[in-house]
Amino acid sequence: MIRIAAVGDVHMDRDVLGRFRPALEELPDRADVLLLAGDLTRHGTEAEAKCVATEFGGLGVPVIAVLGNHDHHCDEVPGVVAALEDVGITVLEGDGTVVDVDGTRLGVAGVKGFGGGFAGRCASEFGEPEMKAFVRTTGTVAERLGAALRDLDCDVRVALTHYAPVPDTLAGEPLEIYPFLGSYLLAQAIDSAPTALALHGHAHHGSERGRTPGGVRVRNVAHPVIKQAYSVFTLAPDHVSAPTRSGI
Amino acid sequence: MNDYTEAEVQRALAEDLGVAEQGITVVRSDRGLVLCGEVESPRRREEILRLVRERFPGIACVADIGVTRAGAPTEAEELA
Repeated sequence: MIRIAAVGDVHMDRDVLGRFRPALEELPDRADVLLLAGDLTRHGTEAEAKCVATEFGGLGVPVIAVLGNHDHHCDEVPGVVAALEDVGITVLEGDGTVVDVDGTRLGVAGVKGFGGGFAGRCASEFGEPEMKAFVRTTGTVAERLGAALRDLDCDVRVALTHYAPVPDTLAGEPLEIYPFLGSYLLAQAIDSAPTALALHGHAHHGSERGRTPGGVRVRNVAHPVIKQAYSVFTLAPDHVSAPTRSGI
Repeated sequence: MNDYTEAEVQRALAEDLGVAEQGITVVRSDRGLVLCGEVESPRRREEILRLVRERFPGIACVADIGVTRAGAPTEAEELA
């Protein structure tokens, strides 16, 4: 059994330092790994990232993260990543990592992701250069996520994104902003490998549970959605997702 | 107060670096603006109200904003 703790959208700054720590001290008794689903900072400064490092570093279990849109706002991504890596947090963007959990290899592939919308109601790579660049960005990161998932040499495969791969977990958000909350291309990437679980954040007013068209379980772990320091999911080592019906 | 004011408030909450909140819903009511959502600290709720009152001094504004709980989970979800 693998126990995965996860939370996103913690938006750390000095004013909230220590808030998560009491619950995090208990985490090694409850989970084997902690995944952070982006928007770790308020607006992406190195100083805020150091708050994340203080809060989520040194837990005694591996911590794996992707960044979110807030973590990009001040254009300090290299400093943000360095602050997290300095305390041993693995930051994924189009790549993956494998963690040994009592002899079972847990593989995690991650990207921030991007928007564009969902099948039948999505943006197309057509028209103005700005529009084409927007859609192309999502396509590129989705391809990288799919490749990273397929390349993982592991027993259990988990996808970690900030943006949502399915609309199910957006229920509660205004329909008008769905195209800014995620993209079906991320789900297509997740379905291109035998993924056991997909975790994301970003949608503060969304809901917890969903499923990709290929049957992979999706969980929105945005902090305002789960309303606790982190959620814990348990997966059997022999778990594989339902057969994929689409792929990149 | 009209649609444009509502849009300005929503954008100010996201774009002001002292606030940077995208998860706050702005609702127009008979008594003024009601701001709904959750933030990570009481201080951030105060910053939101201060920003709106400074930028939009003629508009009555109340906050129905909670602070997201950060306790340890009481149970795990089994996905086996």
